[in-house]
Amino acid sequence: METIPSTPAFALTGVAKQYGDVRAVDGLSVTAAAGGAIALLGPNGAGKSTTVSLLLGLARPTAGTVRVLGGTPGEAVARGRVGAMLQQGELMPELTIGELVGFVRGLYPRPLPLGEILDLADLGSLVKRRTKGLSGGQAQRVRFALAVAGAPDLLVLDEPTAAMDVESRQRFWDGMRAYAAGGRTVLFATHYLEEADQHADRVLVIARGRLAADGTPAQIKATAGGRLVTFRLGDQPAAGLDALPGVTSVEIRDGVARLRTADAALTTAALYRGTTLEVHDLEVSGGHLEDAFLALTRES
Amino acid sequence: MLASYVRLEILRSVRNRKFVILGIGFPLVIYLLNANVFGKETTDDGVTVSAYVMVSMAAYGAISGVLVNTAGPWAQERASGWLPQLQVTPLPGWTIIVGKLAGALTLVLPSMLLVCLAGALTQGVSLSVGQWAALVGALWAGAVPFAALGLVAGSLLRPDAVQPVTLVTMLGLVIVGGLWFPVGSMSGTMRSIAEASPAYRYADMGWSVIAGHGVPLADALTVAGWAAALGGLAVLAYRRATVRP
Repeated sequence: METIPSTPAFALTGVAKQYGDVRAVDGLSVTAAAGGAIALLGPNGAGKSTTVSLLLGLARPTAGTVRVLGGTPGEAVARGRVGAMLQQGELMPELTIGELVGFVRGLYPRPLPLGEILDLADLGSLVKRRTKGLSGGQAQRVRFALAVAGAPDLLVLDEPTAAMDVESRQRFWDGMRAYAAGGRTVLFATHYLEEADQHADRVLVIARGRLAADGTPAQIKATAGGRLVTFRLGDQPAAGLDALPGVTSVEIRDGVARLRTADAALTTAALYRGTTLEVHDLEVSGGHLEDAFLALTRES
Repeated sequence: MLASYVRLEILRSVRNRKFVILGIGFPLVIYLLNANVFGKETTDDGVTVSAYVMVSMAAYGAISGVLVNTAGPWAQERASGWLPQLQVTPLPGWTIIVGKLAGALTLVLPSMLLVCLAGALTQGVSLSVGQWAALVGALWAGAVPFAALGLVAGSLLRPDAVQPVTLVTMLGLVIVGGLWFPVGSMSGTMRSIAEASPAYRYADMGWSVIAGHGVPLADALTVAGWAAALGGLAVLAYRRATVRP
């Protein structure tokens, strides 16, 4: 599918990480082409933060290899090609936001202009504030600013919207999208399904340290059964329903047709326009990412 | 990168009220109190007490200053998540420990100079330019082992433990070393212990300078030995504290 021969943003091959008795990551293999937003989705304790630590070189894998932008994680970090927003990274309370961002910016070979960083993180009005006494959401925005300051090719965000209110969240995702639009890669770990659904081009679902599913949000929904289109068929012939676009299975019971589909919009459109059937009581149900997520993480 | 990290360390400490009061103000106040009470008397070396105590307090200020600026903040940063935040930037690991050492040394200059200035301006301590330079130079360079000791403590201890441990260590060093109560007032055994202690050897470089004897080689070598030993220990402890699981 991928035709651009560029270096992957990251590649994990058979990666495992053991902490004492706990196998936090258990045989993870995934390659991410450069560009776009990738969600690392999983319930708490699924191994998201460990995966992030491995990608950033903060932890070493027990088995397998981790490559970031063609080198080891340590090399990628040292070259200034990676930026990261960690959970609970405390900021220096005596420094102003401007000083802190300026310092981190100065560590990278080709940083973003200061004004652009402050715009992306929506911090313009807080530049002279000390980091002591910031609200949780404001502190998260500062961490985001520190993560993007160096214009990294790979931006890694661990649970970025924790402690943000609704409005901050919206602005944060706008900033993240603007950043990823420049051909850069953003990987964000989250346990919020709607965040993965709305803001990622690709979703990696992990559960118990393993990759449970991998695809676009639409594909993830489809692999776990997709959506259900039901309508009253009566005694009309059912032939041809299974040939409608998107349909993966057809079931007729008591005059009601139940079509499982990977794309409900496509299927219903074809049902009306491409057949001569009289469609009554049409209903579309299921297919939320949540259903898929629960189905995928339940038994893997 | 080292320069901007040192700048950050200095900025951070200067804005910390605890450092400004304990590290800079306290030695000066103690000096002025002591000098005004006992200043006119002279020691066995023929030096006025005001000059002798000036050296003691400059040395005390340097020791407490480097300890306050290294141990606490470093332990705090390890615990708070600031360290991993730095570890995911291109800042090389060695810059952190070297930067902290350089920052702490820079930060003790003001207190040292203030005490000397107070001695010269208010207590009539009169030294040649060469003596002033030798005094400040010896006390400044000689602060390295104490800064290294602070980094060892910061690497090994948790934030809640580091404060009391540093305070007790600091008090132990300066009291045993005769910086608060001169060794001349100690009994024989106590005096032998004092004269072998690192803080005494350190301050003795200064006391010798103001008595006109220059910096004794034995003192300089002893302090350099402590610097090498504690510096090595600081590197080991730093490695242990920053090991990636």
